[in-house]
Amino acid sequence: MVFAVQRFPKPEFETGYLQPGTLLPSPRAEILAAMDVAILVLALSVISWIVLKKRSRKGVFWMSLFSLIYFGFYREGCVCSIGSIQNITLALFDHTFILPLTVIAFFIIPLIFTLFFGRTFCAGVCPFGALQDLVAFRPQKLGSRLNAVLGMVPYIYLGLAILYAATGTDFIICRYDPFVGIFRFNASFGMFVFAGILLISGIFIARPYCRFLCPYGVLLNWVSRFSRRHITITPAECIQCRLCEDSCPYDAIDIPVTTKDPENRKIRVKKLIWISLLIPFLTFAGGWTGSRLHITLAGVNSKVRLAEEILTPAAGQGQPESLGLTAYKSSGKAAEEVYSEASEILDRFYNGGWILGGFIGLVFGWVIAERMLSKWHTDYIPNKGACYSCARCVDFCPVKTDLSEIKHEKT
Amino acid sequence: MKQKAFIILALALLLALILFMVKDLFYNSPEKKTNPYAYDLRTLKKGDTTQTAYIETRQVHTRLPEIHGLATGINDWIYLAGDNGVEIYDQAGILKNRFDITGNAGCVAVDKHGNIWLGMEDHIEIRNASGKQIKTWKSFGEESFISSIAVTDSFAFIADAGRKVVYRCDLSGNMINRIGEKDPVRKIPGFIIPSPYFDLAIAPDRSLWVVNPGRYELEKYSYDGSFLTSWGEPGIGIGRFCGCCNPSHFTLLRDGSFITSEKGIERIKIYSAEGKFSAVVAFPSSFEEGTRGLDLATDSRERILALDPVKKQVRIFIRKKDQKSN
Repeated sequence: MVFAVQRFPKPEFETGYLQPGTLLPSPRAEILAAMDVAILVLALSVISWIVLKKRSRKGVFWMSLFSLIYFGFYREGCVCSIGSIQNITLALFDHTFILPLTVIAFFIIPLIFTLFFGRTFCAGVCPFGALQDLVAFRPQKLGSRLNAVLGMVPYIYLGLAILYAATGTDFIICRYDPFVGIFRFNASFGMFVFAGILLISGIFIARPYCRFLCPYGVLLNWVSRFSRRHITITPAECIQCRLCEDSCPYDAIDIPVTTKDPENRKIRVKKLIWISLLIPFLTFAGGWTGSRLHITLAGVNSKVRLAEEILTPAAGQGQPESLGLTAYKSSGKAAEEVYSEASEILDRFYNGGWILGGFIGLVFGWVIAERMLSKWHTDYIPNKGACYSCARCVDFCPVKTDLSEIKHEKT
Repeated sequence: MKQKAFIILALALLLALILFMVKDLFYNSPEKKTNPYAYDLRTLKKGDTTQTAYIETRQVHTRLPEIHGLATGINDWIYLAGDNGVEIYDQAGILKNRFDITGNAGCVAVDKHGNIWLGMEDHIEIRNASGKQIKTWKSFGEESFISSIAVTDSFAFIADAGRKVVYRCDLSGNMINRIGEKDPVRKIPGFIIPSPYFDLAIAPDRSLWVVNPGRYELEKYSYDGSFLTSWGEPGIGIGRFCGCCNPSHFTLLRDGSFITSEKGIERIKIYSAEGKFSAVVAFPSSFEEGTRGLDLATDSRERILALDPVKKQVRIFIRKKDQKSN
C-alpha cells in the first residue's frame, strides 16, 4: 500500500491573515450528488402523493420540514432549482461552461412534476418555501390588484437574472439569495437583515419571496397552468359553502364567475381589439425602453465598470481606486483590450435590453388582459398558476369522499 | 384597521428590500475599500521590540560592488567576499587589505592559518591573507553552486546548493563522502532548496549542522553522513520559519546557541542549543524591504556580524547587557 507524503511542510498562511470564506459549499462526491437527485425525485413523488391522494395538510407540513432540513440546512441550499436557471442560461450562451448533471436535474425535475401534478415542489420540497411557511402566522389578504402589481416583480427578476447570466455578468439570484446564509450559518449582516425582513413581512404576507420575487416560481406558474392533475379544494362537487374562500394565505383561490356573459358582445369585442393592440405596443415600448437602458444594465458587468473606471479614474478626483482597477493595473493588460471587451459586452446588453424590455412589456400586457377578460367557472378553484398546493384549503372543505377523512372529521 | 397596518408595514418592508436590490445592483459604485484579503506582511514585520536582546553598534561599509559572503578569522578580523574582490577589515572596521579575484565569490571561510577559502560558484579557491592564490580545486560539476564552506583542522565541508548536497573533503580537495542526499533507509530526508541559500556550520562541539531551508529545519549530521537530529518548525510566528525556505543563513555561538537569519520577513533570531527560540537580534524594521542574503558570523567577543547586501555593510550587533562594558 502506498501513502502520499508531503515532501516538505506546507507554508503557513494563517497567522495574522484573514482567510476569505468560501462562498459555495464544498463539492460533493458524485455518489452523494446522485443521492441528492434521487432524494429530490423521491420527495417530489411523496409530496405529490400527499397533496393529490392523501390531501393532507399535516403531511405537507412534515414533508416541508424534512426538505428544509435536507435541502436547506444539510445541502446548504445549493444547488437549488431557483439558482439553476442561471447555470442553464450560462451553459446555453457560453459553451465553455460545464453544466453538471445535478444542476440540470434540479432545474428540470420540479418542472416535470409540476406539469403533471401542479406546484407540489413549492408545497413541500423547496426549502425556501418551507422556511417561509413556518412563519406565516397571521397571513392577510392583499387584494387582486396589489397581487397583480407585486406579481410583476418576479418576471423582471427572472429577465434580469437571465440577462446577467447570459452575458456572464453575475448570478444575481445567488447574490440576493436571502436564505442561503441562514442555511450555511454564515450570512453577512446585510443578508441576515434581508432574510429577517422577508421573514418578518412573511408573518403577514405569506411566502413573500415565493410570490413576489422567486424567478423559478414564474416558470412553475407557467407550467402549472397546464398541469395534468392539480389539487382541488373539494374532492367532489363544490357546494358553494364559501368556507374555503378565505382559507388561502396566498390569494390563490379563484372565486366563481357564475355569470356566463357579464358583458355584451360589443364591449367584449372592443376589449379584445384593445388588448390585441396593447400587447404588441407594450412589448415594443418595453423593448425600446430596455434598449435605452442598456448602459445602466451593463454597468453591473465588472469589465464594463473597469473600462469606465479607466476612462474616468476616481483616484484622480481624490478617491481611492477600486480593487478591480488595482488588479487591472498589476495585470499589465492594455486599456484598449479592456475597452474592446467592454464594447462587445455593451452590444450584447443592447440586444439583451430589447429582449428584456420586450418580455416585461409582454408580461405587463398579459396581466392587464387577464384582468380585463373574466373566465366563466362555477366552483371555488385553486388558481393553477399561483397555487402552491399547500393543501390548507382542503381542510376547510366540508365535502369528504374518503371514509377515513369523514371519520377523522367526526372525531 | 390593525390588519391594514400590518399589511402596510409588511409591504413597506418588502418594497424596501426591492429598492435595496435595485440600488445595490445598479447604483453601487465599485468597492473602494482596502482589500481585506491582501496578503500584507507589514503587520507581521512589526515585532515586539521587548524581545530584542541585541543592539546594533557599528557598520562596516564595503566598496565591493556586490557582497555575498562574510566570515571572521584570527584576531576577529572580518572577511568579505563578493563580485571580483575580497576585503579584510580588522575588528574595529578598518580596512586592512583588499584584493581582486576573477569571478564572483558566493561564500567565504577562514581557516586557522588565516587562509581564505572562497566558494567560486562551482569550485573552491584558497588564498592567503595577502590575496595570493594557494590552490584552486577542480569543479564539482556544471550544476554546482557553492553556497557555504566550513573548515576544520582536517576537513572542509562544502554546501552545494545547486546539487543539494554537502561534500566532506580533505584539505587538499579530495572528496571523502557526500552528506544529506535523500536516503529513506538511513532516514535522511534530503535537502529541499528552492532558492540558492544553503548554509552549514561546525558547532563548538565539532558537530556538523546544515540548514534544510525547504523543510524549515536545521539538521545535524555525523561526518560520515548519518542523520542525527533536527529542529525547526514552519510558521509565521516569531519562533518559526516562514516563506518558501528559511532560514537562509545561520551561525553558532560558543554555548552552541544558533543565530539564524531569514529572508521574506527579514529578521535575525537566536535559538538555544536545543533549538528553542530565545531572542531577537534584529527585526524586519532594521532592514530594507526585500533584503536577502543576510550572511552571519560571530567573533571571540560573541558579537554578531550580519552582512547586509542591500546597504553594502557589515552590521555589528552586541548583546544589550554587554553594551556598557563595550
